[in-house]
Amino acid sequence: MTLAIQTQQLRKEYKGRAVVQGLDLEVGEGEVFGFLGPNGAGKSTTVKMLLGLVRPTSGSVRVLGGSPDDPAVRARLGFLPEQFRFQTWMTAQEFLNFHGQLAGLKAEELRTRIPTVLERVGLGGRGTEALGGYSKGMLQRAGLAGAILAHPRLVFLDEPTSALDPVGRVEVREIIQELRREGVTVFLNSHLLSEVEQVSDRVAFVKAGEVVRAGTMNELLGGALPVMIKVDALTPQLLADLGRLGQLEQQSAQQVSVMVSGEEAIPALASAVAASGAQLYALTPQRHDLEDLFLELVGTSGDSRQAALTGRVA
Amino acid sequence: MSNVLLMARLSLSEALRKKLIVVLLVLTAAFLGFYLYGILRLEQNLTERAANAGLSAGPRRGLGALPVVYSGIFGMYLVYFLGSLMAVLSTVASVSGDIESGVMQSVIARPVTRAQVVLGRWLGFTGMNVLYVLLVSVALLTGLYLITGYLPPNPTAAVAQILLGIVLITSLTVLGSTLFATLANGIAVFVLYGLGSAGGILKSIGALANSPTMESLGNAANIVMPTNALWLGASYNLQTEGALQLAQVARGANPFASTTPIEPGVLIWAAVYTALAVALAMWRFSRRDL
Ligand SMILES: Nc1ncnc2c1ncn2[C@@H]1O[C@H](COP(=O)(O)OP(=O)(O)OP(=O)(O)O)[C@@H](O)[C@H]1O
Ligand SMILES: [Mg+2]
Repeated sequence: MTLAIQTQQLRKEYKGRAVVQGLDLEVGEGEVFGFLGPNGAGKSTTVKMLLGLVRPTSGSVRVLGGSPDDPAVRARLGFLPEQFRFQTWMTAQEFLNFHGQLAGLKAEELRTRIPTVLERVGLGGRGTEALGGYSKGMLQRAGLAGAILAHPRLVFLDEPTSALDPVGRVEVREIIQELRREGVTVFLNSHLLSEVEQVSDRVAFVKAGEVVRAGTMNELLGGALPVMIKVDALTPQLLADLGRLGQLEQQSAQQVSVMVSGEEAIPALASAVAASGAQLYALTPQRHDLEDLFLELVGTSGDSRQAALTGRVA
Repeated sequence: MSNVLLMARLSLSEALRKKLIVVLLVLTAAFLGFYLYGILRLEQNLTERAANAGLSAGPRRGLGALPVVYSGIFGMYLVYFLGSLMAVLSTVASVSGDIESGVMQSVIARPVTRAQVVLGRWLGFTGMNVLYVLLVSVALLTGLYLITGYLPPNPTAAVAQILLGIVLITSLTVLGSTLFATLANGIAVFVLYGLGSAGGILKSIGALANSPTMESLGNAANIVMPTNALWLGASYNLQTEGALQLAQVARGANPFASTTPIEPGVLIWAAVYTALAVALAMWRFSRRDL
């Protein structure tokens, strides 16, 4: 696997306080990588270091085989900043034209490329309006158009859907999937975990500047699967049968949760219920999702306070 | 290079689009009209008085020529002051504004070096400010000439020194814009400008009072901020022989005009200072976090 992003012991301190520490990231080419963590965990700071906007205190960064300080490397990057603030006096077309020129695109290519990306982000026909008159979501869409404008090989999206309506969120998901089909690597920061779950190949959780868990979706969410079963009455016989299939946790006189090894065990549960003659009301696999994992890893409150307490270096 | 020009063009279209240039030109036209109208009335008064005294019309000599000479000097002083003000105000947010708004992040993520961004911004604002001051200078001197038939002895040298001052103050403002927040930068550059003017006043009083300490203080201020020294150099080129002689008699008691030409060292230092400011701005911006 060739690596699109590789960091070693990456560290950033602001005024002696570590906001990113000991970060070893490896993102393969063509991967969609989800980067998750609570507010203030250091996600945006990491992205900025990967783009050369912020200088690491120590550690190394390699992006597309080079340093982000090299303009030739940045020519193949796309970036949607967390705060999508652009020159408000420009129209969307002028904005994209300016960025296209900075990225080294030829004028004739820009003539066809700009309408294409505007259309792609749902701003077709609005390109001649000044960005100052754009709504928040429209601005974010314009920023997204800028991020994919110059045929990047690696795209950083820092909370790309934070201002978008539900349709926009679906569209962004489609864009990410399209990028993946074209072999483009996507580095995605987001708090919308169901979205991340749907598009990411791999995710990492950061907390107070450190990675606490990383892996493929399967590694993180696979494994034991709780299945909730609701029947008219749980007889001792039925409980004994179910107990042979997985660990039980009885929740009421009608409801029990069975922890099985995976989806392949579900039909056996159904047969056991049917064989016992009980009336089945519900049989629901309660797949672990990223949100459960997030809450488990990070706790219920943001860790910005905790970061302030533990992130201080001597 | 093309990135530098792109950034320079961006600065110009921004100034145009934000109506900065239109407002500036309209207000400047009003200022010029006001000042030139004053000169017109002065000229009419002088001619009237000459006629009443039974003097023939024709070029005025000696003390009689002074009012017109002074209206040229102080007109140009106002141009320089306005030009400096406008240079600082237009440029004060050239880099810091984009950092503060977050616009800079998406620009720097492109294959453009930070040095190119600073150089392009500097080029755009310097070009705009120089063009503006040149335009106003030419308009004022032309108006003066059309009304009174008088042109200062060496207008080209005077305007060149004024423009060097404008370039310097623009460059220092760009540098400040990479170092400080916008407001702090504005304050810093104005304080520097004030220091330069204070240096000129100290020097002139020091010369009058024969106080070497004051003169060295003034010299130190001129090194830190040569804008006033450049103005004094320009003012020398705007004075006729008669005005210079009168000022020499007064032992330079006028801090707004100088009786000696500018020292080449000041010109060289101003140019070097400009280059240093731009280089430092490029270097400094290349290593700050966005
Ligand atoms: N320029 C800065 N100066 C000082 N501290 C900073 C600076 N930028 C970020 N930080 C601190 O670094 C920490 C991480 O910030 P960062 O923006 O990377 O968080 P994040 O994970 O992106 O959070 P969010 O989910 O809210 O976007 C925060 O505690 C923040 O206060
Ligand atoms: Mg963030």
